[in-house]
Amino acid sequence: MKAKDILTALEEALADRLRDSEIRTRTVGVRSPRTIEEVWGRIDREVLLKAVQTLKDLGPLHISIISGRDLGEEIELLYHFTVGFGTEDGEVLVTLRLTVPKSDPVVPSLRGVLPGAQTTEREKIEFLGVEFSGIPDSRHLFLPEDMEVHPWRVDEPELEKFVKRKVKWEERDGEQNL
Amino acid sequence: MESKTFEIPIGPVHPALKEQIRFTFQVEGERIVGVDIKPGFAHRGIEFMGMHRNLVQVLYLAERICGICSISHPIALIQAVENAAGIEVPPRAQYIRVIVAELERIHSHLLWAGVAAHELGFDTLLHLTWKVREKVLDILEELTGNRVNYAIPIYGGVRRDIAAEQYPRVQDMIRYYRGLFEELCDRFLNDASVEARTRDVGVLEPEEAEELCAVGPTARASGLRKDVRQDWPYLVYGDLGVKAITPEDYGLETRGDVYDRIVVRLLEVGQSLSIIERCLEEMPEGEITSIPKIPALLAQLKKAEGEGIGRHEAPRGEVIHYVRLEAGVEAPVVWKVKAPTYSNLLSWYPMFEDQEIADIPIVAASIDPCICCMDRVHLVRGGRKELVWKEELLKLSWEKTKRIAGHGLRITGANDERA
Repeated sequence: MKAKDILTALEEALADRLRDSEIRTRTVGVRSPRTIEEVWGRIDREVLLKAVQTLKDLGPLHISIISGRDLGEEIELLYHFTVGFGTEDGEVLVTLRLTVPKSDPVVPSLRGVLPGAQTTEREKIEFLGVEFSGIPDSRHLFLPEDMEVHPWRVDEPELEKFVKRKVKWEERDGEQNL
Repeated sequence: MESKTFEIPIGPVHPALKEQIRFTFQVEGERIVGVDIKPGFAHRGIEFMGMHRNLVQVLYLAERICGICSISHPIALIQAVENAAGIEVPPRAQYIRVIVAELERIHSHLLWAGVAAHELGFDTLLHLTWKVREKVLDILEELTGNRVNYAIPIYGGVRRDIAAEQYPRVQDMIRYYRGLFEELCDRFLNDASVEARTRDVGVLEPEEAEELCAVGPTARASGLRKDVRQDWPYLVYGDLGVKAITPEDYGLETRGDVYDRIVVRLLEVGQSLSIIERCLEEMPEGEITSIPKIPALLAQLKKAEGEGIGRHEAPRGEVIHYVRLEAGVEAPVVWKVKAPTYSNLLSWYPMFEDQEIADIPIVAASIDPCICCMDRVHLVRGGRKELVWKEELLKLSWEKTKRIAGHGLRITGANDERA
């Protein structure tokens, strides 16, 4: 699998809904150095499923993780896929970036195309407060079910209490010596 | 007679599990008809902590995500940061990273083999496996100073060189395991009771493994040739020509059961020995780090701006770290960690389907779960949804110690005890 082929296929399928796309390279190895290529791009949430289906048609698809970040008014999600495992030097990292407004943080779930994404989707529900439409199981995964704080949001009023509590703790920890 | 479904909770703390996770099984008689899995009991908030610390501190934190994979997470993290900040790594350092990573794989796979034997009720085999595992731990201690938490990688290189007089000791270890290898394979793979307990138990079909995005030996035992070292070369793995191992390499038809997972892990021990041997032969002389001074390194990292991804094939499968750096900020703005068990979690559902209650421990253990790797924030108390804080836990622990040891005992801190 070549990064260029993946990028071409994505461009054809998504047209202008794919922006800022680029191929990033890095060199690895000592005796026989080789260039590793990665595909990066920004898409709209409306074409997420189409993009993932395009990747799936190209070769065996794996989702490593969805990472994310609170940008203030918006939440940014980065889908880290790999396409084409199983052959030597044949796997390409594909990162698709999308942003959703905080007022409407809904993204389509990948359940139909790639069921393996469920763990990481559930994690984003609890940590960033993103909603995934069509996800079969939206319960909290790592955090308690009743915990309403989203730890990766920057404007969480409750979060500060958590952190302060920890600091207060450490002071007392030092004093207390039975 | 009408069949009736019962619910059996196993965990969060249970003798059949080595770490905290809750399985809720639906059973009809002895047969499992459904399962619900709830992790999160060992979540320590490591990513959150990391986003409030400088990158050198984050490195040490990453090492402590998991005691067994204590070089896998740092290797993924440093690759991500080096990628984001554009830091070069000297060739010798790349070889040393690979050597320590492969030593870790040997010790992890042997540890798992012992645990698997124990879960089957075959404790003699557990003791044998763990006895021979000591050799690789001795070598790790010799090379790094520690049995776990090796503190070897640093951004731009490694922290310790391997001296010429240490080579023969590593080679001696390779000979030791080669001599044992056949015996070990024989004990595990030709034993009637091991075979009876693991053949066609906990099956994961290749299609399921692929669509559930399983990784590591769990995926390979189902016939997927999926190995980050082969698929996406990094460090010097591309030069070494590492190939993914499936049961076919042992002359077996792939069935994707627990037995196949034993085969794959045992073969990978042999593969790691060859990799270490070749690294020792091919490793060039030279510098071991491109930025030896920590203040200079921190200053450079603080100026760096960008994002990067680092991946590594840990003993249990793919580890990936995503890091975003911003100029003028010491801490990473985003740090996302993915451990192998996180990807393998969903594989448990098809594996448990239609199994017997007695097979729960070995099926649960067969993906080599590492819960502390996967969990990374706070804690809850079982089904009762309440938070238990560190202070309460400490108080409870003091009370218990007092109860056991009687009053008037002076309880010192953990540090004092160690001294």
